[in-house]
Amino acid sequence: MFAFLVARRYLGSNPWQTALLVAGVALGVTAFVFITALIQGLATRLTDDVTAKSAHVSLEPADRVARIFHNPRLHTEAVALVSTLQRRQIRAWTATVALLESQTSVTAISPQITGSAVLVRGEAAAPVAVTAIDPRQLDAISPVSREIVAGDTSLNANGILIGVRLAETMGLSVGQPVLFRTDRGIARLLVVEGIFKSGVQSVDERVAYLSLDTARPLFLLPAGVTNIEIKLKDTGQARSFAKFIGGATGLRATPWQDKNSGLADALTAQAQTGTLIQAFSLISVLIGIASALSLSANRRRSEIGIMRAFGISRNFIASVFLLQGLMIGIVGASLGCFAGYGLCSWLATFTKTDGTLALPIAPSEGGYALVFLLTTGGAIMASVIPARSAARLDALEAIQQ
Amino acid sequence: MTASLDARSINMTFRNGDELTRVLVDVNVTLAPGELVALLGASGSGKSTLLSIVGLLLRPTAGIITIGGERADILSDAKSSRFRNTRLGFIFQFHNLLPDFTALENVGFPAAAAGDGMNAAIRRRAEMLLSRVGLSERINFPAARLSGGQKQRVAIARALMNHPQLVLADEPTGSLDRASADQVLALMREINREDGTTFLVCTHDERVASHCTRRITLRDGRIDSALDTQITPET
Repeated sequence: MFAFLVARRYLGSNPWQTALLVAGVALGVTAFVFITALIQGLATRLTDDVTAKSAHVSLEPADRVARIFHNPRLHTEAVALVSTLQRRQIRAWTATVALLESQTSVTAISPQITGSAVLVRGEAAAPVAVTAIDPRQLDAISPVSREIVAGDTSLNANGILIGVRLAETMGLSVGQPVLFRTDRGIARLLVVEGIFKSGVQSVDERVAYLSLDTARPLFLLPAGVTNIEIKLKDTGQARSFAKFIGGATGLRATPWQDKNSGLADALTAQAQTGTLIQAFSLISVLIGIASALSLSANRRRSEIGIMRAFGISRNFIASVFLLQGLMIGIVGASLGCFAGYGLCSWLATFTKTDGTLALPIAPSEGGYALVFLLTTGGAIMASVIPARSAARLDALEAIQQ
Repeated sequence: MTASLDARSINMTFRNGDELTRVLVDVNVTLAPGELVALLGASGSGKSTLLSIVGLLLRPTAGIITIGGERADILSDAKSSRFRNTRLGFIFQFHNLLPDFTALENVGFPAAAAGDGMNAAIRRRAEMLLSRVGLSERINFPAARLSGGQKQRVAIARALMNHPQLVLADEPTGSLDRASADQVLALMREINREDGTTFLVCTHDERVASHCTRRITLRDGRIDSALDTQITPET
């Protein structure tokens, strides 16, 4: 293609200017890759932080509502009230667990009894959110045993695990008894078997763990459970799995995203900010290409005039400038992708003292294909204006200048 | 025999605001094949405008242009470009070569850009033409590194690339020293004599006109028919 040769020759005629132009494009693409990798890395870290310590899907009994029966003949309504004394529970939880165990996408299942209670010690009292679980599956949802700072996680019949801030507030240490009174009005003396430190203040201050067997009489649930917590292989599938399992069991299934809507909002805002920065870096790249090629078209007016005089078509002249844009885009985008990947990989080698990345960057998530396509496509678009102005040039006017 | 050029009743008026300037008035020019014609005239007489009109670079206000028997003034922009590419050759005062290309590429450019690129046939003809103008040693020289006379000789070779029926030259020696100018004029005369190529040479220089076989003089936008003469060129 002769236009390609001409475009290449034009770019090669001023190597420094071309090198600067390509460097500008590469820099913009590097910025794009860096921002994309950083935002993706940050989103992955935040999501991992949340999903690592919480259930991906929660199953609870469906909401009960009062039913109203109309009698049009007598113009009366009868209401079947819902008992507030009756504890909502999943009675057939073993069947649900069996169903969940048959699903390959499920990695952990934790039937639980959750409720409210008050810990009383002398004059001191503190409300706690209780999670009663099978001690053998203590770490199924959250790695509690790794957070133990005193005692152990054996959770015997009278045992209780409490957070480190609650222990400080109540002046409790391992082996000490504490009065445990549930929202059902049942009280029992339990022994602190372990103290954990999750690092989350609200958890360390308000959460307590019991075994399921210990919790049953205290919450008046001799057979059922209040909820079943589930972990999945792929957290991104939580919403669709919740829909499936909710339909299959008739239970209310809530994916982790719905329980952490604040995180979803933050991630969305972060992604939007990133998109804005990406757009600006691309726009600056495209303006650079358009202005450089416009200058080139202006500088070559007399040459273009000669080509037109010799009957070279306007399309040929336009294609020379479009091809210059394409070549600048391809080379600049390729160099920018390599530089961006190198920069992100280098930044990913820096770690904090706890072993986590200093900068939550994901070098593999730099949006390379996207930025390559956007840059090359955009470079062609940016060269349309100089290409059109070159092609429209009046031959006689250009030669006479 | 079909005339190489037949320009009939060419009128050209330029508008500058409310002011109208008549540059050409009822100009009639006919060139037989193989003629080497000097278009003479003082500065501002309209000779460059006439050359641009005949070269289809400018549309006349009125008039008919026939080149090689084909009506050329009514062609669309695209067809006019194609016509210029295949039927006309241009030589400009400042040679206007493409500086980023070699002598060979400059000569082959009109054919390569209009076709499938610099193929072997185009390369062979460009080499032959460069040899013809005495530049066989400079084939792969960048145009920017050639002397003024060499550049103009490359421009002559380029004008001949597509076997034109008519070559239009606008002050072809205007930017050359005397020795180079003489070489260029002798070359044009030789090509005209040996190949039968028709030339219309726009000049204000009597010495250039003396190399031509006929002279046409423009005076205030009109052909001075008394000065349309056949001459015996200097050799």
